Amino acid sequence: MPELPELNPVIHGKLRLALLSLLVGVEEAEFTWLRAKTGSTDGNLGAQLVKLEEAGYVAVEKKFVQRKPQSLYRITEAGRAAFIEYVQAIKQMLGSAI
Amino acid sequence: MTTSVEELELKDRLSLIESMIAEGRRTTASYGWTFVLWGVAYYVAIIWNSMSSFYLAWPITMVSACVLMGVLVWRKRKNSGSSPVTTMRRAIWSIWISMGLSMFVILDAIGYSGRLTDWRIFAAVAATLVGGANAASSLTLKWKLQFACAIVWWTSAVISCFGTNLQSSIAFLAANFLCQIVFGIYLMIREACARRQAVAHA
Repeated sequence: MPELPELNPVIHGKLRLALLSLLVGVEEAEFTWLRAKTGSTDGNLGAQLVKLEEAGYVAVEKKFVQRKPQSLYRITEAGRAAFIEYVQAIKQMLGSAI
Repeated sequence: MTTSVEELELKDRLSLIESMIAEGRRTTASYGWTFVLWGVAYYVAIIWNSMSSFYLAWPITMVSACVLMGVLVWRKRKNSGSSPVTTMRRAIWSIWISMGLSMFVILDAIGYSGRLTDWRIFAAVAATLVGGANAASSLTLKWKLQFACAIVWWTSAVISCFGTNLQSSIAFLAANFLCQIVFGIYLMIREACARRQAVAHA
């Protein structure tokens, strides 16, 4: 019987998974857009994004637009690869159940 | 029991991934007004040109429409914030920007070279380019209705090649009305419905 893969704990968190799923479909996204789409608080969202950033899965660019701070997030190549691996692992674990 | 709980959790994760990817691609951006704007701009240029025969009527109207569109896009982004750029969105914008630049270069070049001796050539080239952009956009979006617009524009181009000046003008004006004004208004209604659904969904 083949050994089942382990799920990446960095991605497995619900909010972090939601963030990567959102970022995988767009080129880059503002903090405010991610907050609106996930419905999370500033603090929680910021903390989860830092974890993804530390893992090298997202990159952030901070700038000022019309004197207002703006944070733009995008998924990195490592993040995309880890996300694909995670989805494949889930599908393998579920097997015929899906 | 544990296996069943784990299985449910995994299915929940998969469903979260699917819904978030769909959410990321859901766009509240609006493009319908750009079709209407350019449709009106073509009418303004045609009327101005036919009434005064002013040789700069077309370039001035087209540049003004470009500037107006830029200002409106800037204001929209400023007021509602920017939704993220998807690869699809970039592809569609690239098609229309390329078409606009091609049209500007070729029509100005044949106009200023003095070789634009027949309105029908102008109409045929313009209709072919707009039809091509509609076709490319419809194939990218897999949208049959927009491909129908491309066919209408190409038909107008063919009529310009074989018909009289009057037939060419009628074909161009009709294509503009159907594929810019009517199609644009239809898009605006669709986009308004999509925005209402997005608000309800949130």
